[in-house]
Amino acid sequence: MVKTELEFFLHGQGLKPKVISAAADDTMREVLVRAGIINEGQNEILVFVGECQEALADPDELEDGADQHLPVDANLTLEVLGIGHHRHVHCHACRHVASGINFGGKTKLHKFSPATTVGVVTQWARRKFRLDPAAAAEYVLQLCGTTEQPRSDKHLGELLERGTCSLCFDLVKEITPQG
Amino acid sequence: MEKPDQRLFDEDVSSAEFRSGEAKGLWGLPSPDLLPDALQWPKRILWIAAAPRPKSPERFYITLDAEGYRSVSPTGTFWDPASKSPLDHARRPKGKPESRFAKVFRTDWNGGTAFYHPYDRAAAKGHDAWPREQPHLIWTSNHTIVDYLEEFHSLLISGDYLGV
Repeated sequence: MVKTELEFFLHGQGLKPKVISAAADDTMREVLVRAGIINEGQNEILVFVGECQEALADPDELEDGADQHLPVDANLTLEVLGIGHHRHVHCHACRHVASGINFGGKTKLHKFSPATTVGVVTQWARRKFRLDPAAAAEYVLQLCGTTEQPRSDKHLGELLERGTCSLCFDLVKEITPQG
Repeated sequence: MEKPDQRLFDEDVSSAEFRSGEAKGLWGLPSPDLLPDALQWPKRILWIAAAPRPKSPERFYITLDAEGYRSVSPTGTFWDPASKSPLDHARRPKGKPESRFAKVFRTDWNGGTAFYHPYDRAAAKGHDAWPREQPHLIWTSNHTIVDYLEEFHSLLISGDYLGV
């Protein structure tokens, strides 16, 4: 019988995303051991399937919300976990990334899934701060105390320093090239 | 034998980050029939998806000169796969007047042969103040073609993009 091969993108803390190919009937644990993400018998890593966009559905008035995106059971097969459809897997020690976004002297808080992209957080922040949609596109996230503006496809979990589960961003206006 | 800059570029268009964006339909490599017959390194052609606008294409092609990649950034402009030449200015994406979009994709600078952006090698060369004014956009050898594509894709899906 021909085995179905699935290809997906593996993300994690301090890890450059990898393309992983594995059989649909492999368990996620087997795949992660082969990829060197976990050791045999290790249980403490949390495995998230798919990129989380829950925050975009938050009611405007909700303050300090939290994504429900649940870690999966790594003993299930890739097929059962729907990897062929979701395509992204994120392994992380943190259940949530507690994030504070600053703008205009105010701070909005949310506990995002580690598998949330910077692009989703940016959209969330623009809406939470009620930016004029016509001007909102020029506002981007910058890591507090730095000039670093992470790319929109980065997962929050990839940005965390080891041993931390929180991030701070400023929502800043992009500079128009002049001269 | 591949040159080091070509090898790095080819590795980066095989990376998870490039392929993830390709799988989402954000950017990609054109089919071979859209390429010029004798496309030699350091020339490369890619496409970037754009937000839907009336009478405008779903994607724009760009032609890049990636010599020295990744030590230095590529330089490039819009490309017409039909005529296999740089895209006519009239058919290039337009932005709201005075917007960042309009500045980056301006055609009244350098004949429209490069993007007016710190990630474009030709533009960066003539603008000594940009690293101070836009330190987050200083190209380093840690940057890849994905950073370049993501930057211009974010403009092409922004509200400042009006269409062609």
